[in-house]
Amino acid sequence: MPGALAAIADPAVRAAYREWLLRIADDELVIGHRHSEWTGFGPDIESDVAMSSIAQEELGHGRAWYEQIAADDGGDADRLAFGRAPDEYRHAALLEQENGGWEYSMIRLMLYEAFEIGRLRLVAASGHEPVAGLAQTLSREERYHGLFADTWLTRLAGAAPGGPERIQAALDRAWPDALGLFESTAADEVLQRAGVLQSSPSAEREAWVATVRPVLERYGLAVPSGAGAREGGRRGVHTAAFEPLLAQLTEVWKSDPEARW
Amino acid sequence: MPETTPAAPEDPEVLAEFTARVRAGEQIEAGEWVPEEYRFEALRLINMHANSEIMGALPEREWIPRAPGLARKMALTAKVQDEVGHGMLLYRVAETLGRSRDEMIAELVAGRARFHNVFHYPAETWADVAIIQVFVDGAAMQTQGALRSCSYAPYARVLKRICYEEDFHIQLGLDVWRALAEGTPAQRAMLQDALCRWWTPIMHFFGMLDRVSPHTEKMLAWRIKVKSNEELRQQFLRKFVPIILEYGLDVPDPNLRWAEDEQRYVYTEPDWEELKRVGRNGGPKSAERLALRQRFHAQHAWVREAMSRWRARADGAVA
Repeated sequence: MPGALAAIADPAVRAAYREWLLRIADDELVIGHRHSEWTGFGPDIESDVAMSSIAQEELGHGRAWYEQIAADDGGDADRLAFGRAPDEYRHAALLEQENGGWEYSMIRLMLYEAFEIGRLRLVAASGHEPVAGLAQTLSREERYHGLFADTWLTRLAGAAPGGPERIQAALDRAWPDALGLFESTAADEVLQRAGVLQSSPSAEREAWVATVRPVLERYGLAVPSGAGAREGGRRGVHTAAFEPLLAQLTEVWKSDPEARW
Repeated sequence: MPETTPAAPEDPEVLAEFTARVRAGEQIEAGEWVPEEYRFEALRLINMHANSEIMGALPEREWIPRAPGLARKMALTAKVQDEVGHGMLLYRVAETLGRSRDEMIAELVAGRARFHNVFHYPAETWADVAIIQVFVDGAAMQTQGALRSCSYAPYARVLKRICYEEDFHIQLGLDVWRALAEGTPAQRAMLQDALCRWWTPIMHFFGMLDRVSPHTEKMLAWRIKVKSNEELRQQFLRKFVPIILEYGLDVPDPNLRWAEDEQRYVYTEPDWEELKRVGRNGGPKSAERLALRQRFHAQHAWVREAMSRWRARADGAVA
């Protein structure tokens, strides 16, 4: 089945949309990888099981987006996920950071899911099938991920000795990386001008801050002020956390990329 | 290990009635009266099974970050998730016999509890995933499959679901196995190497030949044990040796052969001292895996504290 890209006649727009879909796929792959590192090590058995489900769903979403791109490239999802050089990945820094404590993973989950819901809404509104329909389907799962993070953060902030301080520290660490989710490149302008996207990264960022601020304040947290966005991810410039992640992710697959594993 | 509570004097008539009921195939529900020795033995069995699911997550989870391909990565995450979920079900069953989950987990993490021998060994390559899913889970299926007809109903019910999932794991493992067995020479060599490394632990898995003792007799009569160790080992060999041969791989025991006259597999007696050592948490990976458990248990202490305070507050609000 041809993906959404084939229907776009203008090669510049098509290339920009490919770039944009790659961001989604890479974000989901990288966060799915990090979440799956909790499998076996959650704070209790129930959360361990829940986090494994979230990981599988993110990896599954990543695969669905890679398949959309591969449908037009003539490649396959695994080759896109495992076969690229580090600077060809387009995820934001937030997703590649090490898990650290449970509080960091929950804050990151909350910030990312709020972003992802907004992004999927944009794709759903693009009118380009099949990706618009795909975005609607995936939103339903993402919503539960956000609820999971909210349940945990409410408890950690509300009942843990020293909880608010720990979560605030996690938030301070995650915030600049989270702002980096909205990094804008030439692709954003092209897509907006072509009418594929109905919003800009800066408008999306404003809407996101308006969504997460009251939630964070409900936990008793202060939204970090004056911290700039850590950008680069959308252009393939990653932090020190990515190289070891990628090396591990691709270790077996790259030992023989032509083999069937 | 569960502490021994001094056995309360039990009315011989009530005891005989209990044994007769169980012998007749009746099952015992949670909360029903059981002899103290029955409770102790059933709890020991189920507690160790639960511990093994939790510790059994560790060797395979090492390969989740490195699984070659998106489908493999998702499937392995789901598989390990199943094992952790089995741990949850089993601890709940164990709780009906009188120990709290917190207590059992604390004991496991502290290295004072037992878990199955196979989970004390390293998972060195991707091929180990295939061996664990086909042969280790296949071995576990023999024991657990038999125990579906055990006398403790909550355990029997949970085992039905567990075996259903384990059977699926074997199918999943066979898919990895086939990819490697039919793959490049390097992939085949990797698979053969993993099979060789895992052979002894798998033969150990079923335990030594049962001693003929009044204790064994009683466990069989009470249906806390359903088949003998050797019966289960033979059952396993009958199902799984053909898989090795079908793909042209070598059975790691050169003396293994089917003895037609005895209708059983003859094999080299494994070193039982190794099993005893491993059983006392003295296996090649015991210390490292327990240390990992301890690290995360300590790291999550404040999270557990938050949960219990939250619960206490919610309970207070209800009361």
